[in-house]
Amino acid sequence: MAERYELKQKEVWDGNMAASHALRQAQVDVVAAYPITPSTPIVQNYAQFLADGYVDGEFVMVESEHSAMSACVGASAAGGRVATATSSQGYALMVEVLYQASGMRLPIVMTVVNRALASPLNIHGDHGDLYLGRDAGWIHLIANNPQEAYDMTLCAFKIAENEKVRLPVTTNQDGFLVSHTAQVVEPLDDDTAYKFIGDYKAMNPMLDTKNPQTYGAQTEEEWHFEFKASQHKALMESPAVIDEVFAEFEKLTGRKYNRVETYKLDDADVALVVMGSAYETAMVAVDKAREEGIKAGLIMPRSFRPFPYNEIAEKLKNVKAVAALDRSAPMGAMGALYNEVSGALAANGQSSIMTNYIYGLGGRDTTAQHILEVIKETEKNAKAGKRVTDLQGFINLRGPKLSFN
Amino acid sequence: MLQIRWHSRAGQGAVTGAKALADVMARTGKYVQAYSVYGAEKRGAPMTAYDKIDDNPILDHSKWMTPDYVLVIDPSLVFQEEIVDNTTDDTVFIVTSHMSKEDLLSIAKHLQGKKLYVIDAIKISQEEIGRAIPNTPMLGAFIKVSEIIPFEDFLVSIEDILSKFPKKIIEGNLRAIKRAYEEVK
Amino acid sequence: MATPKEMMTTWDKIQPGAVLPSFEDPEKKIRSKFNSYNYKVADWRVEKPVFNRDLCIDCDFCWVSCPDSCFIVEEVENKRGKKQAKIVGINYNLCKGCAVCVEVCPTPIKSLLMFPEFVDNDEALKQWPKKD
Ligand code: SF4
Ligand code: SF4
Repeated sequence: MAERYELKQKEVWDGNMAASHALRQAQVDVVAAYPITPSTPIVQNYAQFLADGYVDGEFVMVESEHSAMSACVGASAAGGRVATATSSQGYALMVEVLYQASGMRLPIVMTVVNRALASPLNIHGDHGDLYLGRDAGWIHLIANNPQEAYDMTLCAFKIAENEKVRLPVTTNQDGFLVSHTAQVVEPLDDDTAYKFIGDYKAMNPMLDTKNPQTYGAQTEEEWHFEFKASQHKALMESPAVIDEVFAEFEKLTGRKYNRVETYKLDDADVALVVMGSAYETAMVAVDKAREEGIKAGLIMPRSFRPFPYNEIAEKLKNVKAVAALDRSAPMGAMGALYNEVSGALAANGQSSIMTNYIYGLGGRDTTAQHILEVIKETEKNAKAGKRVTDLQGFINLRGPKLSFN
Repeated sequence: MLQIRWHSRAGQGAVTGAKALADVMARTGKYVQAYSVYGAEKRGAPMTAYDKIDDNPILDHSKWMTPDYVLVIDPSLVFQEEIVDNTTDDTVFIVTSHMSKEDLLSIAKHLQGKKLYVIDAIKISQEEIGRAIPNTPMLGAFIKVSEIIPFEDFLVSIEDILSKFPKKIIEGNLRAIKRAYEEVK
Repeated sequence: MATPKEMMTTWDKIQPGAVLPSFEDPEKKIRSKFNSYNYKVADWRVEKPVFNRDLCIDCDFCWVSCPDSCFIVEEVENKRGKKQAKIVGINYNLCKGCAVCVEVCPTPIKSLLMFPEFVDNDEALKQWPKKD
């Protein structure tokens, strides 16, 4: 039996430490990982916990991220609770296996620390890796600070392993801005945290030698479509379970999470859609804007996948102008949040004026002042009743003004 | 919100120092952020670390700040003009140097007119801890200058934070902190 | 060949993750039309492998290597009472005559050799090379 870890009611942890403790408390059977900046400390701390006797499971060092996720797939199919961590290039190398994991319906939890994708090489935070895994069939949860990195990781296990879901889940936190920023975190004690997640229930485990199973079967055109449709349905119906888990978590901790988070949106004319640590910075900007008389609000999909399109449309019903802020190079289109939110509004017959901003690539600093300027620009659209600003702008980019229409 | 910027060389313990200060303050019920700005680091490269301390949860995740305190724990970085970036006339500088305040100001012209305190944290750490790790003595000096919490309370918290280290190291650090508390000018 | 009707599951009844039970009775197993088992290729054969039980050491190389799962295996008990797989023959309804099995057979005198299709198996065994 693993030793219990004495925790204070309030710890000062960075996002990495918070995620490592959540993995430890989940009593994961197998962690297979290949450390990469900025998520290295998650793996390093976990290995330390193991060496110090706080973890019972296996820790597998592998030769690449492709192998890390492959080992996770094997261990999960064998019938264990499985987790890993990665970032950026490591995430990219994993992508092939991410699809395998979700297709086999393996409830693996991956704590992702978001980092830009090369080239040029950059170790800092943006959402390039998260967007890369967008269609991989995983549930993607967003954490904006170390406390949320801890909370989301605990919830991730419970969501993934629910028999109605049985899908892998990533938790996402911004590289350095959350992963390496120490803040106050209120952890649960080990027993309470484990009890919340519950014992792992294996489904069709390969190590059940009485009932041997084949994983990774081939299905040609006769079945592939049906399998993918049923997998998609599981993802589309996972919100019910996510809501359930969030409600149970609130009962336990008092901390309330929603698939769609909002800030001062009720009477807002202007709304920003933004995900990650910048959501909190934007709260500061919204407060400033309101001091100046602008009715601004915020909205964020806590679950980037499944994307809460109807809930977002509902909440934006009375908003005149919406700016979607994407922390990833859009490369030939509008950013993903712009596209999703525009689609959600169109599907519900709504016509808020939509604009797109790209910000924070490669960890570029985005201050409350920058976001306040975006709110002011967006208000121009709200006032004019039509789009008078550029369709796509760039925040805190050096050089002559760049924009697309 | 109280904002603190550390200037250090990678390997001198500014990140640990910033996190320890955040930990101490969190124990008094404050909300904190401690982070640093990383590049492709190597030991000895100049770097910065940051503390934010407030009564309310800290939402702003931008790296930019106007520091109330600038703590320079490497004697040679005192001469780099970057240490005054984004500061105001009210910003307090606590710097590591073996020089007197007057001698220092005659060379480091960018510090003229600034609120300046000097402490030889390198010498103190060498003598008391046995290594040039000037982060904990800087904390002693900071507590003296800022009066942010009673020194006795600070000592209790920091001893607990250091408790994972061997007894000799803890005692050395505590001596260094106390000396810096007395010697900062 | 059409895929059996009972296999044409709809999306709402399909097994999550395409996880399938292994080692079903091969005779009773229902297979898709794309299953290699259902593509009969024996007509293509001009030379056939002949199996010599007297030389075989039951290493199972041929069983693993054969692309058409031709090798017929029986479960037997060895001298120590342990269960063991014993190669007993070749299913000529499946064999395409590729000679991979002959290639992999490790016995000093091969336990598998290729013979023209028209040569009778008993005749082939008589022609088998002898030790010098
Ligand atoms: S000849 Fe080819 S198909 Fe026939 S038994 Fe040998 S390996 Fe199998
Ligand atoms: S490869 Fe040769 S020796 Fe091995 S089992 Fe087959 S026939 Fe026998």
